[in-house]
Amino acid sequence: MLRQIAISFLVAVLLLPAAARTRPHYGGTLRVEVEGDPWQRPGGLARQMVLDGLTAMGTDGTAGPALAVEWNSDNDNHRWQFRLRPGVHFQDGTPLSSANVVASLTAICGAGCPWTALHAVGSSVVFTSDSPLPNLPELLAGDDYRIALAGAGSPTGAPASIGTGPFQFTAFSNGVLTLAANDNCWQGRPFLDEVEIRVHRSMRDQWLDLSVGRADLVEVPAEQLRQAHEQRLTVVASPPVSLLAITVSDSGALSNPNLRAAIAFAVDRSAISNVIFQKQGEITASLLPAELTGYSFLFSPDRDQNKAHELRGGVTPPLLTLTVEGGPAMQLAAQRIALNLRDAGFNVQVASAGAPQHVDLALRRLTLESSQPQPALESILRAAGLAVPVMEQSPEGLYKVERQVLDTHMIIPLLYLPRACAVGGRVRDLLLSPDGAPQLAGVSLEDAP
Amino acid sequence: MNLRQKLLLLLSLLVAVIVAAVAWTVLLRIRHVFEQRDQEETALFVSQFQREFQHRSAEVAAAVEHIAAGERARNIAFELAQSGDAAPYLTEAQALAQDAQLDFLEIVGPDGNIVSSAQWPARFGYPEPAATATQSTFLQSEDLPDGTAALGLFAVRAVRRSDPGGAQAVRIVGGKRLDQSFLADLPAAPGMTISLYSDSGPNANTATSPQPATPAFDPARLVSTAGSVTGTARYQPLIDSARKTGQASSGILYLTDRREDSVSATAIPLKSESGSVLAVLTVAISRSGMVEAQQHIRAIAYGVAAGGILLAILASLWIAARVSGPIEQLAQAAEQVAGGNWEARVPERGRDEIGALARSFNHMTGELVAQRDRLVQTERVAAWRELARRLAHELKNPLFPLQLTVENLMRARDLPAAEFDEVFRESTQTLCMEIANLKTIIGRFSDFSRMPKPQLERIDINDALRRVAQFYFPATARASQATADDPSSESKIKCTLGVTSDPLFIDVDPELLHRALSNLVLNAMDAMPDGGTLTLSAQPKGETAELRVADTGEGLTPEECERLFTPYYTTKQHGTGLGLAIVQSVVADHHGDIAVESRVGGGATFVITLPRADETAS
Repeated sequence: MLRQIAISFLVAVLLLPAAARTRPHYGGTLRVEVEGDPWQRPGGLARQMVLDGLTAMGTDGTAGPALAVEWNSDNDNHRWQFRLRPGVHFQDGTPLSSANVVASLTAICGAGCPWTALHAVGSSVVFTSDSPLPNLPELLAGDDYRIALAGAGSPTGAPASIGTGPFQFTAFSNGVLTLAANDNCWQGRPFLDEVEIRVHRSMRDQWLDLSVGRADLVEVPAEQLRQAHEQRLTVVASPPVSLLAITVSDSGALSNPNLRAAIAFAVDRSAISNVIFQKQGEITASLLPAELTGYSFLFSPDRDQNKAHELRGGVTPPLLTLTVEGGPAMQLAAQRIALNLRDAGFNVQVASAGAPQHVDLALRRLTLESSQPQPALESILRAAGLAVPVMEQSPEGLYKVERQVLDTHMIIPLLYLPRACAVGGRVRDLLLSPDGAPQLAGVSLEDAP
Repeated sequence: MNLRQKLLLLLSLLVAVIVAAVAWTVLLRIRHVFEQRDQEETALFVSQFQREFQHRSAEVAAAVEHIAAGERARNIAFELAQSGDAAPYLTEAQALAQDAQLDFLEIVGPDGNIVSSAQWPARFGYPEPAATATQSTFLQSEDLPDGTAALGLFAVRAVRRSDPGGAQAVRIVGGKRLDQSFLADLPAAPGMTISLYSDSGPNANTATSPQPATPAFDPARLVSTAGSVTGTARYQPLIDSARKTGQASSGILYLTDRREDSVSATAIPLKSESGSVLAVLTVAISRSGMVEAQQHIRAIAYGVAAGGILLAILASLWIAARVSGPIEQLAQAAEQVAGGNWEARVPERGRDEIGALARSFNHMTGELVAQRDRLVQTERVAAWRELARRLAHELKNPLFPLQLTVENLMRARDLPAAEFDEVFRESTQTLCMEIANLKTIIGRFSDFSRMPKPQLERIDINDALRRVAQFYFPATARASQATADDPSSESKIKCTLGVTSDPLFIDVDPELLHRALSNLVLNAMDAMPDGGTLTLSAQPKGETAELRVADTGEGLTPEECERLFTPYYTTKQHGTGLGLAIVQSVVADHHGDIAVESRVGGGATFVITLPRADETAS
């Protein structure tokens, strides 16, 4: 009997640490490395950790409460009122007020806001619009509309770095951005004490640092997912959340819709997907993925050079400029597109984005910020700089709008790509948000004290 | 141009020609030497270039061979054969090219399509024709993503597979650029510029703008180790020739307007495996050294020529002083002699030909003067003799009657008084008449010796003729130009007066002219004892007026014509021989001339030419 008790005690002692590992530990510093700017919009990691939106996208694709606890619409979605969560403070102690929200949102979009007017009414903010905004809650859940304390800048040059998120900015030195846990966060304190984000780190160095234990979380571009798996990294990947597309100017040499259509037929999506993005993307000719609409197959993604030549009709437009922003894969994809277009009779010059010249074509990566079709389509069109037409709340209406947009050939969808990151062995409970960004608020470290 | 000037010109030309000939010969020789040196340097460079080219070819071939034989390439070949999936190797070429320090590298799959490209990663899946090249190394123009093309030295190697039975092999196509760094490695001599012209450039690989067989020359495509090339457009003929013919071409290129900026250039075509000209290597050797040497020599030649011309001037002056001076003095003396100054002499210097000539000249002039003096003396003696003869003749005629009369008077003293008175009266009459005759003769001689100085007046020569005609033929004068018989003359002489309708003015002494014309008229009348026609006429002849007195008498022999104006020469029985001498004297005093035209039996015409009066003068 005594022997049995002793054995049981030993088993219990051995099982206790195992049970303890299942619970997250507070404390520790998470070391993150990124290639770009963590404050960039959209998708900047620091931005997502420091700032909150009025709403937040749930796992089911619908907008849930965040800084706003409830909302309602009037006048056939022309007027929306969002009531703010009480007791929320910015990281510097400033109480969240409707005036702060109005100032932040106005500063974000200025005259280009989807709404017509924005007012603070007590503890609520009221949006009014000339056109109906049926998906305003989902829109406000997007990364573009996170609330920051107006007038608060940061040493990194970010326009606003004081928010209500789980982490707060503390320092930036030697290329390392340090975020500390916000003890007074309305969502509760995160498990991590600090997050150190080393910025502008090349992908090669990120992976090297991860392999030697100098980093806990690094980026994995879609084109390197295969390689990451081959190297047996712990990869956390999202579903396809970003659309690789060409936006086409309707002015200048490409004001002729036939030439734009010829470009759409000339691009070889499969080569880009299979080789450049190493079969990690989903070829698409539609703006929304098939998971959201189910009619994506109606848009043919196949290349048809004969059709392209036919549509060009012997017209040789002047040298076209294709701008691209992003890493080597994006550059390579742009060069491949230029090569495809050259085969179809176009002269195309690849240039970096931001070049001071007329842009005929732009290869862009557009983030799918919602898992609901209509808000997702709206967000894509807005990100592409296209007008958002009024759409019916039905699959037929959605298809009609998408077909209408695609027939203008001002946007040419190519691929849907996932977003992924690789983590070290001590990182626990990493989840990705619907837009593929890592949610660090719920992350804890294995070896935290 | 005198002798001195001719000598100066001749010597200057001679010096200039000699200096020019020497300078031209030296310049030609220098040019030949420099051109030979340029050719040797170019040939040396070409051989060095070929060695460097072969060295580079060997390097490229070794690098590609190393890659093809490497484990990585063999793994790729194996995995491609197993899976057929080329996607994982998209960036392999870049890594391999970086390791092998190659500018171009492509992995070409068994199907001939690019698996991975270092220089144009986006070209995966496109066919690569160079993979089937047969040569170990070759030149190729490689298309680049930015629309340009680059010239490269390429090699192709198949990857060795572990399974020798594989149908198709993976091939590695690698290469290095032939660009400015390649040119910089070439051993160029000082003053030598190495440039490379390649047809690659913007839009060189544009599918929609097919290039012609030989694209137009583009100066921007000519690059050298220093970047841009001076006067690139001047290279066009050479480069075009090399591109079209595939043969090296050479020439002199003037890069600017300055001769110093000219180069001796050679264009060497670089060909692809198929033999087409992909690029042209130009070797330009500066001619500034040669031009500077030529300019230096030319400057020396100019200096020597100037000095030579100066020496020629001095020499010509010296020669002129020694040769042309005496000759000029001789010429001047000869002119003086021709002008009547027979006393002209020239200095006699030296014993050379010029001195002998001077002595001969002086001797000649001395002889001339002596002969003239002797002639004058002879003529003077002859004149005195003639004068004595004439005087004797003239005086003898009256003296004989005087002698007879005096003898008659002496014989008549014995006659009765009455007869004596008769004889005395007749004798005294005879004596008076003969004495008067003697006075007349003496008066004529006296008049000839005392010709008065002309008192010039402006008269119409027609008036002078009318006055003479009126004096001797009044009817003729009244009838003006008509012909009339002389009523006072017993002979049948007709006078014809030919005057001009317009006045014909001359400046003469009217009395002397009248006297001269009277002598001629009287002579004419004497020449026509049986009658005839006397013609008096005047007419302008240029700047002179011509008066003619013509008769239809017996005429004169040529000998008579020659001596006609000699004083005291006469053909008449009782003439003094002074009439025509007086006429000639009058005419000479009026700066005129007199001549006679006559033939035997055809009459004689005396022609007096006198200068016309200047009618513009008052």
